[in-house]
Amino acid sequence: MSDLTGESTVYVIYIAAAPHKVWEALTASEFTTRYFFGRAVESDWKEGSPWLLRMPDGRIDVQGTVREAKRPHKLAVSWTVDWIEPKPPECFVTYEIEDAGGGVTRLTMTEEHPAPIPRAWLEGGRKGWPMILSGLKSLLETGKPLGLPTPMPPKEIKP
Amino acid sequence: MSAFVYVTYIRTTPQTLWQALTTPEFQRKFWFGMHQDCDFKQGSPWRLLFEDGRVADDGEVLESDPPRRLVLRWRNRLRPELTEEGDARCEITIDPEGDASKLTVRHSIARENSKLIEAVSGGWPKIFSSLKSLLETGAPMDAIYSRHSEKAS
Repeated sequence: MSDLTGESTVYVIYIAAAPHKVWEALTASEFTTRYFFGRAVESDWKEGSPWLLRMPDGRIDVQGTVREAKRPHKLAVSWTVDWIEPKPPECFVTYEIEDAGGGVTRLTMTEEHPAPIPRAWLEGGRKGWPMILSGLKSLLETGKPLGLPTPMPPKEIKP
Repeated sequence: MSAFVYVTYIRTTPQTLWQALTTPEFQRKFWFGMHQDCDFKQGSPWRLLFEDGRVADDGEVLESDPPRRLVLRWRNRLRPELTEEGDARCEITIDPEGDASKLTVRHSIARENSKLIEAVSGGWPKIFSSLKSLLETGAPMDAIYSRHSEKAS
């Protein structure tokens, strides 16, 4: 039996860019395709609107609803991975974007699981977020994303 | 057991990253103006010092495998409630990944609800974010450094 968990994941990173630039990097596909393993975000980012994350081959990776959008300080979405059958339970991802002073922004990503998920999936997310958000920081600070290989899903997940 | 794990990816080589982590001139730029007094050989004493010479933390090098792995015995010497928690363990590992290096810190102590681990949980993201900026752009993040110093002193 797979071990189930409802643990949250929190990741904090400081970025030498204004809060509205960090918001733009999270919500515009011109940015996300460069640091989010090639994935494009699509949404009008209004509360209650749908949003999705599209893979480079056109398939939908993740989709959900915009739960809260307080540009440029807070964005909360529901998050369901679309390509795993049966569909995993929905989780909530929240980005908090705070001015830390001196041209630095503190970005906090929180991934919460109202329904428990297999621990292997949680660990997969915990591997991915530092790669994604380190890439976002590099892109905003240097104009160039990191060249990191896209991680493979855990063995337990059959696409 | 209380533990905090933080990972960041920095566009640099493991050798350059190891050098930045273990050289006082680099440390002062990204570690809130602090530096370390250590030769980073197994069994050597280790100290983390403020600019004015006060000791923030001290301990010993438990493992040193440049440029891949450094393990420190770590005891706070600044705040009595943290000192009395005893020795913590700080493991830093560096792995090459794509055009970057994966930098991981795992800071742990053999007790529940540790105040030390709570304190370092706030510090590591600032230190590693500043180190990443320093190595990728040449400029550290002085703004978060000055704010942290105010709080620490």
